[in-house]
Amino acid sequence: MAQGHDAHAISYKTYFMTWVWLLVLTALALGIGYAPINETLKAFLLVGTTLAKILVIAAVFMHLRYERLNLILITFAPLVLAIIMFAFTFPETLGTSTHVIQVR
Amino acid sequence: MNASIAEQQRILASDWGGGRSPFGTTWSKFMMWIFIVSDALTFAGFLIAYGFMRAISPAWPEQTEVFNMVLITFMTFALISSSAVMAMAVGAARAGDPTLAVRFLAMTIVGGIIFLGCQVYEWAHFIGEGARLTTNPWGVPQFSASFFLITGFHGFHVLSGVAILAIVAMRAAVGKYSADGVENAGLYWHFIDVVWVFVFAFFYLL
Repeated sequence: MAQGHDAHAISYKTYFMTWVWLLVLTALALGIGYAPINETLKAFLLVGTTLAKILVIAAVFMHLRYERLNLILITFAPLVLAIIMFAFTFPETLGTSTHVIQVR
Repeated sequence: MNASIAEQQRILASDWGGGRSPFGTTWSKFMMWIFIVSDALTFAGFLIAYGFMRAISPAWPEQTEVFNMVLITFMTFALISSSAVMAMAVGAARAGDPTLAVRFLAMTIVGGIIFLGCQVYEWAHFIGEGARLTTNPWGVPQFSASFFLITGFHGFHVLSGVAILAIVAMRAAVGKYSADGVENAGLYWHFIDVVWVFVFAFFYLL
Protein backbone atom coordinates (compact mmCIF):
# COMPACT_ATOMS: atom_id res chain seq x y z
CA MET A 1 0.00 0.00 0.00
CA ALA A 2 1.32 3.40 -0.88
CA GLN A 3 2.05 5.54 2.14
CA GLY A 4 0.43 8.92 2.49
CA HIS A 5 3.67 10.81 2.86
CA ASP A 6 5.60 8.92 0.21
CA ALA A 7 4.25 11.34 -2.32
CA HIS A 8 5.43 14.22 -0.11
CA ALA A 9 9.20 13.80 0.05
CA ILE A 10 10.48 16.33 2.57
CA SER A 11 13.62 18.17 1.54
CA TYR A 12 16.80 18.27 3.64
CA LYS A 13 16.39 22.04 3.78
CA THR A 14 13.03 21.59 5.53
CA TYR A 15 14.64 19.27 8.08
CA PHE A 16 17.45 21.76 8.61
CA MET A 17 15.03 24.65 9.12
CA THR A 18 12.98 22.52 11.54
CA TRP A 19 16.17 21.79 13.49
CA VAL A 20 16.92 25.54 13.64
CA TRP A 21 13.39 26.29 14.90
CA LEU A 22 13.68 23.58 17.54
CA LEU A 23 16.92 25.13 18.77
CA VAL A 24 15.23 28.56 18.87
CA LEU A 25 12.34 27.10 20.90
CA THR A 26 14.84 25.40 23.23
CA ALA A 27 16.62 28.72 23.78
CA LEU A 28 13.23 30.33 24.43
CA ALA A 29 12.34 27.63 27.00
CA LEU A 30 15.72 28.15 28.67
CA GLY A 31 15.08 31.90 28.83
CA ILE A 32 11.65 31.32 30.36
CA GLY A 33 13.18 28.92 32.89
CA TYR A 34 15.60 31.57 34.13
CA ALA A 35 13.21 34.54 33.85
CA PRO A 36 12.27 36.17 37.19
CA ILE A 37 8.52 35.77 36.63
CA ASN A 38 5.55 34.28 38.49
CA GLU A 39 5.81 30.47 38.74
CA THR A 40 2.30 29.90 37.36
CA LEU A 41 3.01 32.11 34.36
CA LYS A 42 6.33 30.33 33.89
CA ALA A 43 4.54 26.96 33.92
CA PHE A 44 2.05 28.11 31.27
CA LEU A 45 4.80 29.53 29.05
CA LEU A 46 6.88 26.35 29.39
CA VAL A 47 3.86 24.18 28.53
CA GLY A 48 3.32 26.39 25.46
CA THR A 49 6.90 26.12 24.19
CA THR A 50 6.96 22.38 24.95
CA LEU A 51 3.75 21.76 23.02
CA ALA A 52 5.09 23.85 20.13
CA LYS A 53 8.26 21.74 20.06
CA ILE A 54 6.48 18.38 20.11
CA LEU A 55 4.06 19.54 17.41
CA VAL A 56 6.98 20.52 15.18
CA ILE A 57 8.79 17.22 15.81
CA ALA A 58 5.63 15.15 15.25
CA ALA A 59 4.51 17.07 12.15
CA VAL A 60 7.84 17.25 10.31
CA PHE A 61 10.26 14.64 11.71
CA MET A 62 7.58 12.00 12.36
CA HIS A 63 5.70 12.94 9.16
CA LEU A 64 2.37 13.15 10.97
CA ARG A 65 1.28 16.06 8.80
CA TYR A 66 1.10 13.65 5.88
CA GLU A 67 -0.72 10.88 7.75
CA ARG A 68 -4.43 10.25 7.84
CA LEU A 69 -6.57 11.96 10.46
CA ASN A 70 -7.38 8.53 11.98
CA LEU A 71 -3.72 8.00 12.89
CA ILE A 72 -3.17 11.60 14.00
CA LEU A 73 -6.08 11.36 16.45
CA ILE A 74 -4.63 8.21 18.03
CA THR A 75 -1.36 9.99 18.75
CA PHE A 76 -3.25 12.61 20.78
CA ALA A 77 -4.61 9.93 23.13
CA PRO A 78 -1.72 10.10 25.66
CA LEU A 79 -1.96 13.89 25.89
CA VAL A 80 -5.71 13.78 26.52
CA LEU A 81 -5.39 10.95 29.07
CA ALA A 82 -2.50 12.77 30.79
CA ILE A 83 -4.64 15.90 31.14
CA ILE A 84 -7.45 13.80 32.66
CA MET A 85 -5.03 12.12 35.07
CA PHE A 86 -3.54 15.47 36.04
CA ALA A 87 -7.02 16.95 36.56
CA PHE A 88 -7.97 14.04 38.84
CA THR A 89 -4.79 14.06 40.94
CA PHE A 90 -3.89 17.75 41.22
CA PRO A 91 -6.86 18.74 43.45
CA GLU A 92 -5.39 16.38 46.08
CA THR A 93 -2.36 18.62 46.35
CA LEU A 94 -4.59 21.63 46.95
CA GLY A 95 -6.39 19.67 49.66
CA THR A 96 -3.10 19.04 51.45
CA SER A 97 -2.31 22.74 51.55
CA THR A 98 -5.79 23.58 52.83
CA HIS A 99 -5.46 20.93 55.50
CA VAL A 100 -2.13 22.34 56.70
CA ILE A 101 -3.66 25.81 56.96
CA GLN A 102 -6.63 24.46 58.94
CA VAL A 103 -4.38 22.65 61.38
CA ARG A 104 -2.62 25.89 62.16
CA MET B 1 -26.68 -10.18 -7.37
CA ASN B 2 -24.79 -7.34 -9.05
CA ALA B 3 -26.17 -4.93 -6.49
CA SER B 4 -24.87 -7.18 -3.70
CA ILE B 5 -21.37 -7.29 -5.20
CA ALA B 6 -21.41 -3.54 -5.69
CA GLU B 7 -22.46 -3.06 -2.06
CA GLN B 8 -19.67 -5.39 -0.89
CA GLN B 9 -17.13 -3.46 -2.94
CA ARG B 10 -18.43 -0.18 -1.57
CA ILE B 11 -17.99 -1.43 2.00
CA LEU B 12 -14.48 -2.78 1.33
CA ALA B 13 -13.49 0.54 -0.21
CA SER B 14 -14.59 2.46 2.88
CA ASP B 15 -12.14 3.27 5.70
CA TRP B 16 -13.52 0.77 8.22
CA GLY B 17 -14.85 -1.89 5.81
CA GLY B 18 -11.91 -4.27 6.24
CA GLY B 19 -10.68 -3.90 2.68
CA ARG B 20 -7.83 -1.54 3.54
CA SER B 21 -6.05 -0.01 6.50
CA PRO B 22 -8.19 2.71 8.09
CA PHE B 23 -4.93 4.39 9.06
CA GLY B 24 -3.45 4.32 5.58
CA THR B 25 -0.22 2.77 6.76
CA THR B 26 1.66 -0.51 6.96
CA TRP B 27 1.01 -2.79 9.93
CA SER B 28 4.61 -2.41 11.19
CA LYS B 29 4.42 1.37 11.30
CA PHE B 30 1.00 1.26 12.90
CA MET B 31 2.28 -1.14 15.56
CA MET B 32 5.19 1.23 16.22
CA TRP B 33 2.69 4.06 16.72
CA ILE B 34 0.65 1.91 19.12
CA PHE B 35 3.85 1.16 21.06
CA ILE B 36 4.75 4.86 21.14
CA VAL B 37 1.28 5.78 22.41
CA SER B 38 1.45 3.17 25.20
CA ASP B 39 5.01 4.18 26.13
CA ALA B 40 3.95 7.83 26.18
CA LEU B 41 1.30 6.91 28.74
CA THR B 42 4.02 5.41 30.96
CA PHE B 43 6.09 8.59 30.75
CA ALA B 44 2.96 10.68 31.34
CA GLY B 45 2.38 8.68 34.53
CA PHE B 46 5.94 9.37 35.66
CA LEU B 47 5.73 13.09 34.95
CA ILE B 48 2.33 13.51 36.58
CA ALA B 49 3.54 11.60 39.66
CA TYR B 50 6.55 13.93 39.72
CA GLY B 51 4.25 16.97 39.51
CA PHE B 52 2.12 15.58 42.30
CA MET B 53 5.09 14.91 44.59
CA ARG B 54 6.49 18.33 43.89
CA ALA B 55 3.16 20.04 44.59
CA ILE B 56 2.77 18.35 47.98
CA SER B 57 6.40 18.93 49.02
CA PRO B 58 6.81 21.93 51.29
CA ALA B 59 10.15 22.70 49.59
CA TRP B 60 11.93 21.73 46.39
CA PRO B 61 15.61 22.27 45.53
CA GLU B 62 16.46 24.90 42.92
CA GLN B 63 17.33 22.71 39.93
CA THR B 64 19.48 25.34 38.23
CA GLU B 65 21.72 25.33 41.31
CA VAL B 66 21.86 21.53 41.62
CA PHE B 67 22.39 20.62 37.97
CA ASN B 68 24.88 21.85 35.43
CA MET B 69 22.44 23.54 33.05
CA VAL B 70 25.09 24.04 30.38
CA LEU B 71 25.49 20.26 30.25
CA ILE B 72 21.72 19.67 30.24
CA THR B 73 21.28 22.19 27.41
CA PHE B 74 24.09 20.51 25.47
CA MET B 75 22.36 17.14 25.97
CA THR B 76 19.16 18.67 24.57
CA PHE B 77 21.11 20.05 21.62
CA ALA B 78 22.65 16.62 20.96
CA LEU B 79 19.30 14.84 21.03
CA ILE B 80 17.48 17.41 18.85
CA SER B 81 20.35 17.35 16.36
CA SER B 82 20.35 13.55 16.25
CA SER B 83 16.60 13.62 15.69
CA ALA B 84 17.03 15.97 12.71
CA VAL B 85 19.72 13.71 11.23
CA MET B 86 17.49 10.69 11.84
CA ALA B 87 14.73 12.37 9.81
CA MET B 88 17.28 12.82 7.01
CA ALA B 89 18.18 9.11 7.27
CA VAL B 90 14.53 8.22 6.72
CA GLY B 91 14.44 10.62 3.77
CA ALA B 92 17.53 8.99 2.24
CA ALA B 93 16.10 5.51 2.85
CA ARG B 94 12.82 6.46 1.18
CA ALA B 95 14.77 7.97 -1.73
CA GLY B 96 16.53 4.61 -2.23
CA ASP B 97 19.98 5.73 -1.12
CA PRO B 98 21.11 3.21 1.53
CA THR B 99 24.69 4.53 1.64
CA LEU B 100 23.54 8.00 2.61
CA ALA B 101 20.96 6.52 4.99
CA VAL B 102 23.69 4.54 6.79
CA ARG B 103 25.82 7.69 7.12
CA PHE B 104 22.93 9.62 8.64
CA LEU B 105 22.13 6.67 10.91
CA ALA B 106 25.75 6.60 12.09
CA MET B 107 25.55 10.33 12.91
CA THR B 108 22.31 9.72 14.82
CA ILE B 109 23.99 6.95 16.82
CA VAL B 110 26.89 9.28 17.65
CA GLY B 111 24.37 11.86 18.90
CA GLY B 112 22.76 9.22 21.10
CA ILE B 113 26.11 8.08 22.49
CA ILE B 114 27.07 11.70 23.28
CA PHE B 115 23.76 12.11 25.12
CA LEU B 116 24.32 8.91 27.09
CA GLY B 117 27.89 9.92 27.95
CA CYS B 118 26.64 13.24 29.32
CA GLN B 119 23.95 11.43 31.30
CA VAL B 120 26.48 9.06 32.84
CA TYR B 121 28.58 12.09 33.85
CA GLU B 122 25.50 13.82 35.30
CA TRP B 123 24.47 10.73 37.28
CA ALA B 124 28.02 10.23 38.60
CA HIS B 125 28.17 13.86 39.68
CA PHE B 126 24.73 13.69 41.33
CA ILE B 127 25.58 10.46 43.18
CA GLY B 128 28.95 11.96 44.14
CA GLU B 129 27.12 14.80 45.86
CA GLY B 130 25.35 12.22 48.04
CA ALA B 131 22.09 11.72 46.14
CA ARG B 132 20.49 8.28 46.42
CA LEU B 133 17.13 6.88 45.37
CA THR B 134 15.51 7.58 48.74
CA THR B 135 17.75 10.22 50.29
CA ASN B 136 19.73 13.28 49.25
CA PRO B 137 21.56 16.22 50.85
CA TRP B 138 18.78 18.66 49.89
CA GLY B 139 16.32 17.07 52.32
CA VAL B 140 13.60 16.24 49.77
CA PRO B 141 13.73 12.47 49.08
CA GLN B 142 11.23 12.78 46.22
CA PHE B 143 13.67 15.03 44.37
CA SER B 144 16.35 12.40 43.78
CA ALA B 145 13.74 9.62 43.40
CA SER B 146 12.08 11.57 40.57
CA PHE B 147 15.44 12.33 38.99
CA PHE B 148 16.69 8.74 38.99
CA LEU B 149 13.40 7.23 37.83
CA ILE B 150 12.55 9.71 35.07
CA THR B 151 16.02 10.26 33.62
CA GLY B 152 16.92 6.60 34.16
CA PHE B 153 13.84 5.35 32.32
CA HIS B 154 14.46 7.83 29.53
CA GLY B 155 18.17 6.97 29.41
CA PHE B 156 17.32 3.30 29.04
CA HIS B 157 15.13 4.24 26.06
CA VAL B 158 18.05 6.13 24.53
CA LEU B 159 20.34 3.13 25.10
CA SER B 160 17.87 0.73 23.49
CA GLY B 161 17.32 3.26 20.69
CA VAL B 162 21.05 3.34 19.96
CA ALA B 163 21.08 -0.48 19.86
CA ILE B 164 18.08 -0.55 17.48
CA LEU B 165 19.65 2.07 15.21
CA ALA B 166 22.94 0.16 15.18
CA ILE B 167 21.13 -3.02 14.08
CA VAL B 168 19.18 -1.14 11.39
CA ALA B 169 22.38 0.56 10.15
CA MET B 170 24.34 -2.72 10.04
CA ARG B 171 21.53 -4.45 8.16
CA ALA B 172 21.36 -1.58 5.68
CA ALA B 173 25.15 -1.63 5.25
CA VAL B 174 25.14 -5.31 4.21
CA GLY B 175 22.27 -4.84 1.80
CA LYS B 176 19.37 -5.95 4.00
CA TYR B 177 17.82 -2.62 3.34
CA SER B 178 14.29 -1.69 4.34
CA ALA B 179 12.95 1.84 4.16
CA ASP B 180 10.09 0.82 6.46
CA GLY B 181 12.57 -0.50 9.02
CA VAL B 182 14.51 2.76 8.98
CA GLU B 183 11.30 4.77 9.31
CA ASN B 184 10.01 2.70 12.24
CA ALA B 185 13.34 3.04 14.06
CA GLY B 186 13.17 6.76 13.29
CA LEU B 187 9.72 7.07 14.85
CA TYR B 188 11.06 5.52 18.03
CA TRP B 189 14.04 7.87 18.07
CA HIS B 190 11.87 10.95 17.57
CA PHE B 191 9.63 9.75 20.39
CA ILE B 192 12.69 9.68 22.67
CA ASP B 193 13.36 13.27 21.63
CA VAL B 194 9.74 14.27 22.37
CA VAL B 195 9.95 12.75 25.87
CA TRP B 196 13.19 14.62 26.56
CA VAL B 197 11.52 17.89 25.55
CA PHE B 198 9.01 17.29 28.35
CA VAL B 199 11.67 16.24 30.86
CA PHE B 200 13.86 19.24 30.01
CA ALA B 201 10.99 21.69 30.50
CA PHE B 202 9.24 20.21 33.52
CA PHE B 203 12.08 18.65 35.49
CA TYR B 204 14.99 20.98 34.82
CA LEU B 205 13.43 24.36 34.02
CA LEU B 206 10.16 24.59 35.95
